[in-house]
Amino acid sequence: MNEKTLNTMLEKLKQEFDISDIVEHKPRLTTFTVSKQHAETLIRELRDREAYTHLNFMTCIDYIEDGIFSLVYMLHNYGKKHSLGVHVNISRNGEEVFSIHTLWAQAWTYQRELREMYGIRFTDSPRLDEDFCLEGWDQIPPMRREFDTKKFSHERFGHREGRSSEVPREHMKVQLYPNRGGDEE
Amino acid sequence: MSLRDLLSPFYVWQRAFEKPYTTKRPTLDRPGAPAYRGFHINITETCVGCGSCHTICQNHAIDMVAVDEYVGRDGDSGLRPRFDYGRCCWCGLCVDICTAGSLRMSNEYAWISEDPGDFHFTAGIDDKPWQENALGYRRAEGYHLYPPKRITMPMLPVEESVNTFDEVVRGYDKEQAKKEADRCVECGICVATCPAHMDVPDYIHSIRDGDYEKGLQLMYRTNPFPATCGRICTRRCESVCPVGILGEPVAIRWLKRFIVDQVDKKDYPRILNEPIGESDFKVAIIGAGPGGLSAAYYLRQQGHAVTVYESRASAGGMLRYGVPSYRLPDVELDKDIEHILAIGVDIKYDTEIGRDISFETLLEDNDAIFMSTGLSVPSSMRIHGEDHPRVLSGLQVLADVASGRDPGIGKKIAVIGGGNVAMDAARVSRRLGADVTLLYRRRISDMPADDEEIDESQAEGVVIVQQAIPVEVLDADGTERVCIKWGEAKMVDDPKGGRPRPVLQEDRMHTETYDCIISAIGQSSDLGYLSSEVQDQLAIEWGRFKPVEYQHTMMEKVFVGGDFANRTADAISAIEDGHHAARGINRFLNPDAFIKAEMQDE
Repeated sequence: MNEKTLNTMLEKLKQEFDISDIVEHKPRLTTFTVSKQHAETLIRELRDREAYTHLNFMTCIDYIEDGIFSLVYMLHNYGKKHSLGVHVNISRNGEEVFSIHTLWAQAWTYQRELREMYGIRFTDSPRLDEDFCLEGWDQIPPMRREFDTKKFSHERFGHREGRSSEVPREHMKVQLYPNRGGDEE
Repeated sequence: MSLRDLLSPFYVWQRAFEKPYTTKRPTLDRPGAPAYRGFHINITETCVGCGSCHTICQNHAIDMVAVDEYVGRDGDSGLRPRFDYGRCCWCGLCVDICTAGSLRMSNEYAWISEDPGDFHFTAGIDDKPWQENALGYRRAEGYHLYPPKRITMPMLPVEESVNTFDEVVRGYDKEQAKKEADRCVECGICVATCPAHMDVPDYIHSIRDGDYEKGLQLMYRTNPFPATCGRICTRRCESVCPVGILGEPVAIRWLKRFIVDQVDKKDYPRILNEPIGESDFKVAIIGAGPGGLSAAYYLRQQGHAVTVYESRASAGGMLRYGVPSYRLPDVELDKDIEHILAIGVDIKYDTEIGRDISFETLLEDNDAIFMSTGLSVPSSMRIHGEDHPRVLSGLQVLADVASGRDPGIGKKIAVIGGGNVAMDAARVSRRLGADVTLLYRRRISDMPADDEEIDESQAEGVVIVQQAIPVEVLDADGTERVCIKWGEAKMVDDPKGGRPRPVLQEDRMHTETYDCIISAIGQSSDLGYLSSEVQDQLAIEWGRFKPVEYQHTMMEKVFVGGDFANRTADAISAIEDGHHAARGINRFLNPDAFIKAEMQDE
């Protein structure tokens, strides 16, 4: 896609939808952020008017420090061989999001997965609460960063007998300086 | 059943000799993709056993185990990771975090055994066919889970620093310190190398938690000079920091300083609140340098009556009289010293053993003595004319400046030497307005001085002439000047494999006139306060004490430590000597308690 066409389009989107954080990662990939309020219309516009007809994938990034989930809609324009990543930031605390299964039928599968992995609810997305790949999951959604994978793994899965691990620092103390360091005496 | 049905299997057999409709192909090898995350490879010679793979593994699939091939040493725990393939999920986080870059994955994925116990191995140690695999998952170039570069320390700009004795290093703010602390993988490899074995990962963790009081408490367990060491420590810890293998080591020294900077001195008694034991013993300490005061601090906590004898007007030893204030401001040194004295350590200033009190009296009046009188006599250059009045010693110049006296160096000077004292003397002279040339007999890369000191000296305008051997000091016109004759040196390789030796080239001599020459080529101990009988009893050989456990000497009540008793001659080693002597003195004074405790242990 030539730069001029891309810039014209981005300029237009800036005017109409107030997009921000535009980053050109490589000639065939640009990402930007749009508010949730404008997101659905913008994505529809990209599909119907700008020929970003293909939904590559949909995913989510947990920015726990900022208290947000960043939903990512990766769209592709076959004619121009160009992808656009649309970021939509939502609160981590159960904020519901519009569903795009009416734009791309397969989106409901992504949304079901995101519900399972992050606990995000998409309004009227079909079969949203059915198990996707975690069957009988009884914990908080595992891709949320407060989920303690290590603890879960330790408690859930069996342990091989005869395993033991040494702490480097303690091992070195015993080997190299048994009578020194902080006093326990 | 018809006859045909009975015979039908045999009709099939008749086909066996016909050309088959299908074609036979050899079983194809199906290699994993080039970056496939298959079985682990560890380059065990590069691995330092930091255990970051063990810590990051979300599945508890990695143990750190002792192996016969490696033992613990500086910078290597001697442990190596052992993988449990019953738990591994092939995520590759262990590869991504590996500080040494030794861990990778092969593209091999087939391993067949009927015994589940087999799938448990120490990569690189247990013989596996994929160890030499060139393909498989590697961490991408430039991809790091922590920033490889340290947070830049704010410094006084050179044009300012060269004109002032204000501290050059300004210290991290909270945000910078937290970011730098976040680079620490908390492996603890550095603890073994720190002469005092400080709880480095723990106090760095306290910065991440914002709990600076906890950090201070942790530091005082092993070092009562954190404000000082946070500025001028030789930081052996940083030289072994695994984060430094692929990037820059964690700025351990600056983080230590940061913690101290956050805590007000008046809060020390509340935060540290050292319990003071009960004891009727009296201990005398000779020398109020880092060694002596460290011993005093830990001995006092046992309840002993501790008196420190110091020949100068202030405490601190070389930290006060040898380290210039742009590196260690007095107020920071005092922060450390005042707390040590505040727990009940008595100090007698301007009191010289051998002049004001005899060593024998001290021995008589006390239950134990700790001597830490350092290296106070400048070494001789061993060249003709060096007793010229315009040849000054680096130590004297530094002591004069520290005491507020004018060392009278003049405007154009030469410094001889390549150690930290030479750098200090050169930079102090720059601040006094002199043009400074530094002559060193070997190359800059051979200098024992800290690299930062060398860089900062040069930035401040010190001209370093390397491979310059002083030959003779000559009189100049007038009494206020002096000439030095020096020759260029050629570096000659040592056939025995030692470091190259500088050899004087007789035909390449130079003579230059200066206002003074500052000699800073090393220093030795002054044991003049000990009678020859005492020196004999201490079994001093070649100016060194025969090493005995717990800093004990051959004399019953006498313990030693610090620069004159160790080979590293830095503040942190002296601090540990003092701490270790305190342990030794406690054992010496209360032998029953320790014997009992050890018997209980067994």
